[in-house]
Amino acid sequence: MLGSLFRNPLRRPPRQDAFDASALGGAAIALPAPSGITIPAPCAAVLVDRGGRSRRLASGSRIAALEGETAWCVHPGPYTCDLAPFAGAPEIGLRVSFAVDASDPRATHQRFDLFLASEAGSAVELAGFAGLAQTALQRELAQGNLELPPCTTLEEWNTFRSGFNQLMYTRFGVTVDDCVPVDIGATHDYAALLEARLAAQAAVPEAASETAVTLAVPPTEAFVPACEDARALRRLFLELPCLMCAVRMAVLPADQERFRQHQDLLRRLDLVSLAVGTMPALELAAPGQPLAQHEQLRRARHSRRAAAALDEAWALLARMKVAGEGPLDVLFDEADRIVTNLETESGARRVTSMQDEVSA
Amino acid sequence: MNAPVLEASCRSILPDGGMVTITATRRPRAGRADVKCSVPGVPAQAERMQQIVRLARHTEPRFDSRDQVVLSADRAFDPASRDWELAAVLADRIVRGVFQPARPVVANGWSDAWHLGRIDGRMLGHDLARVPDGVLAGGPDGLPHLGALTGQPDPGAGVASARTWFPMHSGGEHDGLGWVEVSVRPLAGAMDADDDAISVPDLDALRQGQVRAVLAGARHFDGRGQGQWKTTVRFGEAGFSGDSYGLALVMADRMARGREFMARGRVIATGTSSAWHTGKVDTVDALAPKCALITREAGPGDRILLPRAWEGALPQGMRETLRARGASLACVERIGII
Repeated sequence: MLGSLFRNPLRRPPRQDAFDASALGGAAIALPAPSGITIPAPCAAVLVDRGGRSRRLASGSRIAALEGETAWCVHPGPYTCDLAPFAGAPEIGLRVSFAVDASDPRATHQRFDLFLASEAGSAVELAGFAGLAQTALQRELAQGNLELPPCTTLEEWNTFRSGFNQLMYTRFGVTVDDCVPVDIGATHDYAALLEARLAAQAAVPEAASETAVTLAVPPTEAFVPACEDARALRRLFLELPCLMCAVRMAVLPADQERFRQHQDLLRRLDLVSLAVGTMPALELAAPGQPLAQHEQLRRARHSRRAAAALDEAWALLARMKVAGEGPLDVLFDEADRIVTNLETESGARRVTSMQDEVSA
Repeated sequence: MNAPVLEASCRSILPDGGMVTITATRRPRAGRADVKCSVPGVPAQAERMQQIVRLARHTEPRFDSRDQVVLSADRAFDPASRDWELAAVLADRIVRGVFQPARPVVANGWSDAWHLGRIDGRMLGHDLARVPDGVLAGGPDGLPHLGALTGQPDPGAGVASARTWFPMHSGGEHDGLGWVEVSVRPLAGAMDADDDAISVPDLDALRQGQVRAVLAGARHFDGRGQGQWKTTVRFGEAGFSGDSYGLALVMADRMARGREFMARGRVIATGTSSAWHTGKVDTVDALAPKCALITREAGPGDRILLPRAWEGALPQGMRETLRARGASLACVERIGII
């Protein structure tokens, strides 16, 4: 250890734990960077303060974080990943290459910076990011907002591409350079997957045939209410104002009726945003009154569902940008549904007991 | 989305031979619970029904909290009977337009895993032959999960099976859509002769050979799936002639093996090929009656695949009618990606 310090006496020893930028641009898209380092060449730095406001620094400058700011070093890419558009068809995929958008001077909020502020806990790995993108894509396809039917024709493919590009830009702030269908059977072998499933199913009855009732509920992924709730509420808190801003600009109301509809939508979003900003603490029923564990779990589930509705709202915003005047009625109906879901979930997050929720 | 259906019903056969009708209505939620159920005289069953319907909604991609659905059964039933569960789930889906059947539904089935959309079985008739005609029977030999209504493979099952539809036309009054279902199960060890692993229990030896040849050719074109799978092919009705089911069979096979994009609804295909190993799709006869049949039967989300040669000769207004109904049509020259 000491030897390495003296090997090159001319170089100053790193002030903090050395920042390793070698993964950037390959396995990692953004890494938390310590204050004081010089931003390496193709990267940029994004600094986010506690309130979610962000600023960018170009490469070559030194990161000088103010009090309370977190810094990330972001490599613009390009990156390539494989996405499976359908959960039920694991052997067919899309090879997507994308790049992190350079800062857009017209926008007050860079969408990728918002993504870093609200969703990235620390580092943004390419694999984790691809997982998020895949979830967004699968949901849009399952809802029928994007179409990728069997034997897709060229025309349908082009429609899909423009919708997908806009989705990725609106939801994550990345631009898709290229996207081609590929056979990913070599890495995602369906036969092996099914074999593993069959083996798991065969093992279950032997293990416990008597507790069949409890087995009906499958082992779910670890769900820590406090973490999930905090993450979901932080996302809602930071993203709803930006979403409202974008929805306001995405539609130019053609007539009085549309204007009123638009205005009403924004007003309701504003109220949801206010409700999120004044959300009671997860673990308290009233000041000084702890809330039961199972009620905390219920509250956290509602937060998560509200965050899912937020994802749908971003996807809808992407559709609004692609669509012309024609399908606006359908889109406003969708917006009504999503905002109602947001209202319902944030309302249910507020109440202290299940009984209050299911009155009537 | 679609025109709102405010009332719908679904029936189920009770163990005593009678019928129970589960009626669903939809109204604005106005701060009430999302699902409300009533069964005359048996509040415990009503509670169970609410639970089932809520669980089954987890398998839907769209969540809508604007409406309240009220489900009510028209008569009390034995607490031990569970066959009404499927009828309740379907009534809830029909009233919200999630499932749009062409004709009234009678459904029997129960499940311990509605949140996965799986249907474990039914109490009515132990083999399909004893189930009355036209009854949607849940269970591994009937409707194994909710996605199977549109032919989708079950994303959680160890055996993948997919179903596609093809128009059956003979000029008689029995014309309609027939289905073909391909189920694949991984073979533990690699086999050389893939022909042996394909079984077609419903058909005679000659037609079995045809089916095997089609699948072998199409899998050769694919480059994967040879000697990897144990395959079972079933047909809804064995009494058909001709080979225009070929494209439907190939699509079902590709869907079951997880190698094809998916439609939201059913895949309805007609077409054949003289050389499946090249992936080429050839034309078939009876354009006009088949197009008329498809136009009549297609529903929202359905994907219709026809041979490329038909493109210029499609009946006027067919594309528009289908698009208005939410179905999409493509005339394909070859299978595979674009």
